[in-house]
Amino acid sequence: MSRIVACYKWVAEEADIRINADLSVDLSKAKGKISDYDRNAIEAAVQAAEALGGKAVSLTFGTQKAKASLKDVLSRGPEEGCWVNGEEADNADSSVTARALAAAIKKIEDVSLIICAEGASDTYARQIGPRIGAILNLPVITSVAKMTFVGETLQAVRKLDDCLQTVEVELPAVVAVLPEINSAPIPGLKAVMAAGKKPVTEYKSADLGVDLTPKTQVTAFKGYVMQRKNIILSGDVGENVAALVAALRKEGVL
Amino acid sequence: MSDKFDAIIIGAGPAGSACAYTLAKAGKEVALIERGDTPGSKNVTGGRFYTYALEMLDEKLCEEAALERPVTHEQFMMLGGERSITIDYHDPSFHTPESVPMSYTILRARFDEWLAQKAEENGALLACGIKVDDLLEENGKIVGIVAGEDEMYADVVVAADGVNSFMGQKAGLIKDLDAHTVGVGVKEVIELSPDVIEARFCLRSGQGAARMILGCTEGIHGGGFLYTNQESISLGCVFMPDQVAQYKKSVHEIYQNMKMHPSIYSLIEGGKTIEYGAHLVSEAGYRGIPSRLHREGFLMAGDAAGLVMNTGYSIRGIDLAMVSGIAAAKAIIRAAHPYEAGPLYMKELENTGLIPSMKKMDGFFDILETPWIYDRVPNLATGVFSDLFSVHGQVPQSIKNSVLQRIKENRLSLWQLAKLGLKGVKSL
Ligand SMILES: Cc1cc2nc3c(=O)[nH]c(=O)nc-3n(C[C@H](O)[C@H](O)[C@H](O)COP(=O)(O)OP(=O)(O)OC[C@H]3O[C@@H](n4cnc5c(N)ncnc54)[C@H](O)[C@@H]3O)c2cc1C
Repeated sequence: MSRIVACYKWVAEEADIRINADLSVDLSKAKGKISDYDRNAIEAAVQAAEALGGKAVSLTFGTQKAKASLKDVLSRGPEEGCWVNGEEADNADSSVTARALAAAIKKIEDVSLIICAEGASDTYARQIGPRIGAILNLPVITSVAKMTFVGETLQAVRKLDDCLQTVEVELPAVVAVLPEINSAPIPGLKAVMAAGKKPVTEYKSADLGVDLTPKTQVTAFKGYVMQRKNIILSGDVGENVAALVAALRKEGVL
Repeated sequence: MSDKFDAIIIGAGPAGSACAYTLAKAGKEVALIERGDTPGSKNVTGGRFYTYALEMLDEKLCEEAALERPVTHEQFMMLGGERSITIDYHDPSFHTPESVPMSYTILRARFDEWLAQKAEENGALLACGIKVDDLLEENGKIVGIVAGEDEMYADVVVAADGVNSFMGQKAGLIKDLDAHTVGVGVKEVIELSPDVIEARFCLRSGQGAARMILGCTEGIHGGGFLYTNQESISLGCVFMPDQVAQYKKSVHEIYQNMKMHPSIYSLIEGGKTIEYGAHLVSEAGYRGIPSRLHREGFLMAGDAAGLVMNTGYSIRGIDLAMVSGIAAAKAIIRAAHPYEAGPLYMKELENTGLIPSMKKMDGFFDILETPWIYDRVPNLATGVFSDLFSVHGQVPQSIKNSVLQRIKENRLSLWQLAKLGLKGVKSL
């Protein structure tokens, strides 16, 4: 049975990320979650598996922390989980992540389609899909807002600024999907219960036989504070309106 | 997967997780269902926990539990206007190196998640992010639950869904709440460095304080609490909502005023609020326990069963929740047939001393009903202290006279105070 692989990233919950007074970023209290856009990629894989009569498989590259993602992702519909476990994921750049994922995909039998989100909700680099395609020598379609399958042919609608482009490709292929492709449902009780019993394959990054040294290094990671003017108008309403309009004009907003 | 469990437990708070832990350890197939994305994510508590309950669950659990500071300093504070009195009771025997400390401060987001994980490690199936909507009933028996589109069956369903149990209502065992028997609690977690906390509360590293506060509710039936965690302070207040409405005040406003009290502000100054929440808490004690805690195929534990003890100087609910969760599990394990579980559960609750303890403490409810203990008593006490410590070089008033004058000033009488004292002695 052909397999449809959904790639996803276990990211830090933005709401828990703290920026200290010295602008250093504190991730230590942040819980993990499946990148928001990846939830649509996972659902797209589940729907594609149904349409193709195949099996959806989830795949992630992450540190030990990503173990917590397995039950979550499997409650969203894939029948099997796959995890490349490696501490390299912590400072991986896009090329490292793509190499790790591609190496794992090679180990999965009979893959007909690989689905990524257009970008991860933390970095939004938009590189993983195209890079996996390059490594595996497969066609890549990005910005996909709709997928239809006719036999082994995928018809994908790409969303480009204000145009829609429809392309066709013979499977196997790699697609990067936009969040509007579907509305990822919140898993129900039975799906959550069943998730714990689904098979999971774990690969150690070291066993994949690929080079996982990043070419780019993160040299600084700092909070960004929006400089606000903090102009407070006080007085009567008429004056305030005039002053507000004048202030906005001065800023070139009006 | 079979669709039928030995037990389904609704709610992964301390009651639910303790129940699931015990059942799973005995090899039962158990589903633990929690509506929060993680257990404890939305649970609000003051933050002190008595460790005996964890030891009852399993030996050695205390050693790895997600706890904050052992409570070595029991404190009581009265606020009267800008004045305050604090009593600090330090008992080293509450925390000796040889034994597990009697109680710890805790943060529920950490504690609940840890406890649920322990239940999961024992084999319980934990499903988070799932709200149970209804119970399934067949021939007058509860046989399962409904969550969204899914139905799931079990020999016994345990409602551990907290105060104002929706499941207890569905089962027809409790009515909608009575505003008179339930308090509204607001609570904040304020982050401060351990050094600052230890300096402000005169603690050594690895020591902790628990403080109850009287006179911070602007005359409304209620009180404040403060607990020192490792790197934060839990500060909050509990009020009777019917009185808040009657006095036309906002809970938030009273709470903010309490925070700005000079003796409170100096404890939290410079801290950063990292959590703010509100929750109901049962105030009725023994008489708040529903007349029936079970039906065939259905048990209620923890707050759902009204098992909270509020004496004014302490709130206990977490330990009782765990004890009742364990009792429910034991009853289910021993029951040869689901209909035996209910009566066995009641027997367990008696045997563990839970219900008898609550009965014993019942008198506190009446004391706490005395309206003037919430403002006039702290005013009186701080007034007397003011006279006691004031020296202006003049001939002082006799202490007796000053006390009598302060009693009068606060529109109280010796007779009223004596009556309260007597009631107090009787309740204790
Ligand atoms: C302000 C305040 C201060 C307190 N201070 C203390 C203290 O210092 N010490 C102490 O011992 N006690 C204290 N208590 C009481 C204590 O918090 C409770 O007694 C205790 O939490 C009860 O545990 P429980 O497991 O019964 O319920 P809860 O802790 O309320 O857990 C119920 C769980 O069920 C889940 N749930 C509810 N409905 C559903 C549903 N339909 N489907 C799925 N899941 C559901 C909830 O999300 C929750 O996780 C305080 C309470 C308050 C409000």
